[in-house]
Amino acid sequence: MVTREDIENIAILSKLFVAEEDLDNLTQQMQEIVEFADAINKAPDSGEEFDNINNLSNVFREDVVVPSLPSEEILKNAPDQAEDHFLVKNHS
Amino acid sequence: MSTIKKIHDMLSAKEISCKELTQQYLNEIEKSNGELNAYVNVTPETALSQAEKVDAKIAKGEEIGLLEGVPMTLKDNMSTKGIETTCCSKILTGYKPIYNATVWDNLESKGAVLLGKTNMDEFAMGSSCETSYFGGATNPFNTKHCAGGSSGGGASAVGGNIAAYALGSDTGGSIRQPASFCGIVGLKPTYGAVSRYGLIAYASSLDQIGPITKTVEDASIVYDAISEYDPKDSTCQGRQKGLTYDTVNNDIKGMKIGIAREYLEGIRDDVKEAILNATKVYESLGAEIVYFDMPALKFALPVYYIIACAEASSNLGRYDGIRYGYKAQHYNGTHDMMCRTRSEGFGDEVKRRILLGTYVLSAGYYDAYYKKAQNLRGTILKAFNDAFTNCDFILAPTVPMTAFEMGHAVSDPVETYLTDICTVPVNIAGLPAVSIPCGFNAKGMPIGMQLIGNKFDEATILNAANMYEKAAGENFKDTKWGVKL
Repeated sequence: MVTREDIENIAILSKLFVAEEDLDNLTQQMQEIVEFADAINKAPDSGEEFDNINNLSNVFREDVVVPSLPSEEILKNAPDQAEDHFLVKNHS
Repeated sequence: MSTIKKIHDMLSAKEISCKELTQQYLNEIEKSNGELNAYVNVTPETALSQAEKVDAKIAKGEEIGLLEGVPMTLKDNMSTKGIETTCCSKILTGYKPIYNATVWDNLESKGAVLLGKTNMDEFAMGSSCETSYFGGATNPFNTKHCAGGSSGGGASAVGGNIAAYALGSDTGGSIRQPASFCGIVGLKPTYGAVSRYGLIAYASSLDQIGPITKTVEDASIVYDAISEYDPKDSTCQGRQKGLTYDTVNNDIKGMKIGIAREYLEGIRDDVKEAILNATKVYESLGAEIVYFDMPALKFALPVYYIIACAEASSNLGRYDGIRYGYKAQHYNGTHDMMCRTRSEGFGDEVKRRILLGTYVLSAGYYDAYYKKAQNLRGTILKAFNDAFTNCDFILAPTVPMTAFEMGHAVSDPVETYLTDICTVPVNIAGLPAVSIPCGFNAKGMPIGMQLIGNKFDEATILNAANMYEKAAGENFKDTKWGVKL
């Protein structure tokens, strides 16, 4: 059962605000989605652990030094910047 | 039909210059994009300057490649240096990448003419293109219906002949479903066949870039061009076999086509009928149909939503208003700034998926949801592997229905999730699948079917799809829109 408190707690973890007037509706929607996701708990457990669907394995290569992207280019997209850095104001 | 092959032949024979052709496409975009809403950003200067280079080469008598000078488009989640890339989200408005996605570097070096960036569901989360910050793309067969999603803009552009082909991305069906809705071809390659470098991430273990085209032959041409090894994507292996284009016309006599009965449950009658008709076409081509059961498919949809949302909640953590994109104007301290930026910048569906992903990854729920879903992923892959011991590929509907009317998908999240039931198993197992048109419903809306192959066996499904196209070409119908060649 998903509660309003669950949603408030997850919202904090997700760094999202949920407006008081949206809370009931969102709790209801999340309850429906979680019920739907619960279907997997009816699946027979193969008992096998699995975490590598794409058969990935490490591939090693020599470390080759290539030029980095210029910092002035990177900073062009920043909403605020100062002295070659991203600017984060009002720490609290 | 305005296909890649046709354009290549016309350019090579100097029947039209690349600049004239590109201008025709730009004019048609101008005329029809108001209604189709396929493009969110048109790039005429980039397109015309590339076209001039191709014309100069042709004038010198040099041979041109198959994709050289062909006007195309990229989904707006693929990074294009200096060209705004928004994922159709408010949170990335104004963002101009400082590097190219590998697929675009690759195609640009092959002389592709970029007409612009196409519409999509916000961060590729949706099945109708309507979660886009810019509103949804419409269906060229009937603009009261959606183009599908999430690569709806690319499908609408190709179906509407305002791009010869498009690159889309497919996390749970986002290439195949809109291709099916718009009566065209969409290929989701094997996970790792095409580089994801520069593709803005939704769910990294499921995302894959692929072509949306008018014909199977065109899909094969584009796939061959983009399936190259890329050291910048640690999961990319590139194409493991020869060019698929070399085998698209092979005889398919004796091929074994598998049909999992679960795929035919709960789909609309008209879709089922079209699929069964397609099996008859295949039988007439000398293929054999084998039916089997795949009970693991029942769990594919919840497994998909748990894994995709878990990965999304992590991937979308990077949008904090500091390094790029939208930033809230009024706030009180850093934490408040980040929360306001994200709350104002993300749309409802994106927020829902971040919240669900955070929920299934949080203490107390991780084992019951995320871990269980990962284990089931293995069960589903094993079921596919078993199936491929008895058949060359699997035939299934792409979507249980035809394109829904605009506005329908946004009303009920869970009901909308259910429409992805036929497409998600392929992403869960990392397999390739191509969706091709296989008929029309009573209202004239296209029906699609998908051919699902074993890992890195794009050649077999493209070959079988092309043979179907040759035998049942009436299902590959053109629309009234766009450039007619």
